Amino acid sequence: MQLMVLGLSHKTAPVQLRERFAIPEDRLPETADRVRAAGGAESFVVSTCNRTELYVACEEGVSDRIVEVLAELGDTRPGTVREHLYLHSGRDAVRHLFRVAASLDSLVVGEPQILGQLKAAYETCRDAGVTGPALNRATERAFAVAKRVRTQTGIGRSSVSVSSVAVDLAKNIFGTLDDKRAVLLGAGKMGELAARHLRQAGISELLVANRSIERAQKVAHALDGYPRSLTELPELLVQADIIIASTGARGYLVSKPEMKKALRQRKYRPIFFIDIAVPRNIDPALNRLDGVFVYDVDDLSEMATENLAARRREAEAAENMVAQEAERFLAELATDAVKPTIVELRQHAAALKQAEVEKALRKLQDLTPKQQKSVERMADGLLNTLLHSVMMELKRAATEPDGHRTVEAARRLFNLDAPAGDDEREQ
Amino acid sequence: METFFAIGVGAYGATTAGYLASLWSARPELGRMAAWLLRGSLVFWGVLLVAFAIQAGVGGSTRLWLGVSGWSLGALYLFLLRRHPITALGSFVSALATVLASLALLMHRPSAALTDPTWGAWILRIHIGLAFIGVTAFGFATAVSLVYLLQARALKSKRRTGLRKRLPPLEVLDSLSLRSIIVGFPFYTVALLLGSAQAVRGEGGVKLAYILACVSWAIYGAVLQARLTAGWRGRRAAILTAVGLVATLGVVALYSLGAP
Repeated sequence: MQLMVLGLSHKTAPVQLRERFAIPEDRLPETADRVRAAGGAESFVVSTCNRTELYVACEEGVSDRIVEVLAELGDTRPGTVREHLYLHSGRDAVRHLFRVAASLDSLVVGEPQILGQLKAAYETCRDAGVTGPALNRATERAFAVAKRVRTQTGIGRSSVSVSSVAVDLAKNIFGTLDDKRAVLLGAGKMGELAARHLRQAGISELLVANRSIERAQKVAHALDGYPRSLTELPELLVQADIIIASTGARGYLVSKPEMKKALRQRKYRPIFFIDIAVPRNIDPALNRLDGVFVYDVDDLSEMATENLAARRREAEAAENMVAQEAERFLAELATDAVKPTIVELRQHAAALKQAEVEKALRKLQDLTPKQQKSVERMADGLLNTLLHSVMMELKRAATEPDGHRTVEAARRLFNLDAPAGDDEREQ
Repeated sequence: METFFAIGVGAYGATTAGYLASLWSARPELGRMAAWLLRGSLVFWGVLLVAFAIQAGVGGSTRLWLGVSGWSLGALYLFLLRRHPITALGSFVSALATVLASLALLMHRPSAALTDPTWGAWILRIHIGLAFIGVTAFGFATAVSLVYLLQARALKSKRRTGLRKRLPPLEVLDSLSLRSIIVGFPFYTVALLLGSAQAVRGEGGVKLAYILACVSWAIYGAVLQARLTAGWRGRRAAILTAVGLVATLGVVALYSLGAP
């Protein structure tokens, strides 16, 4: 039995093709069942906007039938699917699963959603009874590896979008945002996106100020905020903790003297300007005032780029960690595979030893109990010395691709597959 | 005793080095190690100060109070560390504890007036005790203010992203600094009043220290007034808080040296 994964992702297929393979969560078990019907012993399916993947535990030689299942899912021919498909088995499949869970195969490396999506898909299929011990073990280990990668590397530490960098900066200034008021100046898409991020980060109140009050009302409604007119800007400068500027104005909306006046009125509470307008709405000279922090779109983009580069550096460490964990997991699987042979060998040898010791003791009836013990100990020692190198060789062979040959040879040499009683006849 | 005090100063110094290494290298494990060093240093100083108090008598020397002040500063930091993300503050707190411990080591002045079993000696002891509670609180406020300045600078410069992320948020720092001054100021005020009473009775006899004490009190009074009424915060408040501590430590140094 081997582990196999096949699928399409943002790396191999355009969105026009990927969308044809999207599977709703409630249909994942049904799809996994179709994979099992095509020859997979165990299966689970994951489908996100960036990937559709079938994870299968199966015997060799069933991949063509599973590709056919995938083609049917996308209502296309197997030939078309093959052009955009990746198929990994054994060691590569385990590594792929670990990389996906650790967000190393994601469009934005280190994004945290994929782990949740993978867990949800796996749990849905496991609860439906379509997974099995091999897939359960590999997947649960993948989740543990992903957790380790996230805690021991900085892969998910820094924000990589302009809006999330702005939220991070706001937290550096204010700590908690749940008692803070933000004002969105202008009602453009970028501003709306930044305001939405702040809303999600927990700001208590959002005011939307725009020249057109109707537009302000519309955006405020969408963001669960309150509309204001842009003419109220002097009062808003006093009330706001965070101001997102995103208007189409050609000049600066706030001058230094106006800000100084507002600062006195607001008792020097810090204020954070997120200026994502081009041309800029906020005079950068305001940043020199005590308690005023002005970041324009270039500042934020530069930080996001730096953070992305830092994530990539961390991704290298994460890749090494995943590779090591995958090897360790495969070694464990291989050792588990030879365990029955080792147990049988020990039992077989112990039975032989016991028979020989009893035979010898029957002949040597004059021996004292102490001397009998010595004979038994000698037999034990001989047995252990002989078996030690065999056991070590079996464990070593387990990790090699053709290790099964060594296992078969050991079974033949020690007559482990013979029916019970054969040993005595041979003797 | 001198050797043990020197070892204690070394322990605070090592803690400071650990915290600074953690702050600049972005390695959290160094921060955790420094916190354990600080805990160890506090245990060492705790035992040392108890032994010293038994030997020299409670209130028998400014050395004891300087040691207690440094110890309280470290303990206050460790207590607040459980509630706030202020690991980065450790380097400043332990540096300040090192300064106070160094003063304790270098400026040991046994005082006959303090061991005198009269009312005057008791008032002097209370005066010193209260003054050092004030010094501890002002010391903490200053450490927090210095971190505030560092964080504000990192945010203004739009670079040094790593440092910015490791330092606590500005508002948390501002609030901690204000609260420390609010706690320390009444103690320092009563200490100054008792000191004035001693000076009037002619038992204090440290005039320059007294004048500087009044100056430092006025600075903290001004900081409090400006912060609570005019809403001062940020750079100006942080700098004035640090200036106030320099004046306060000047008082301690003058007193310990027995300046006229």
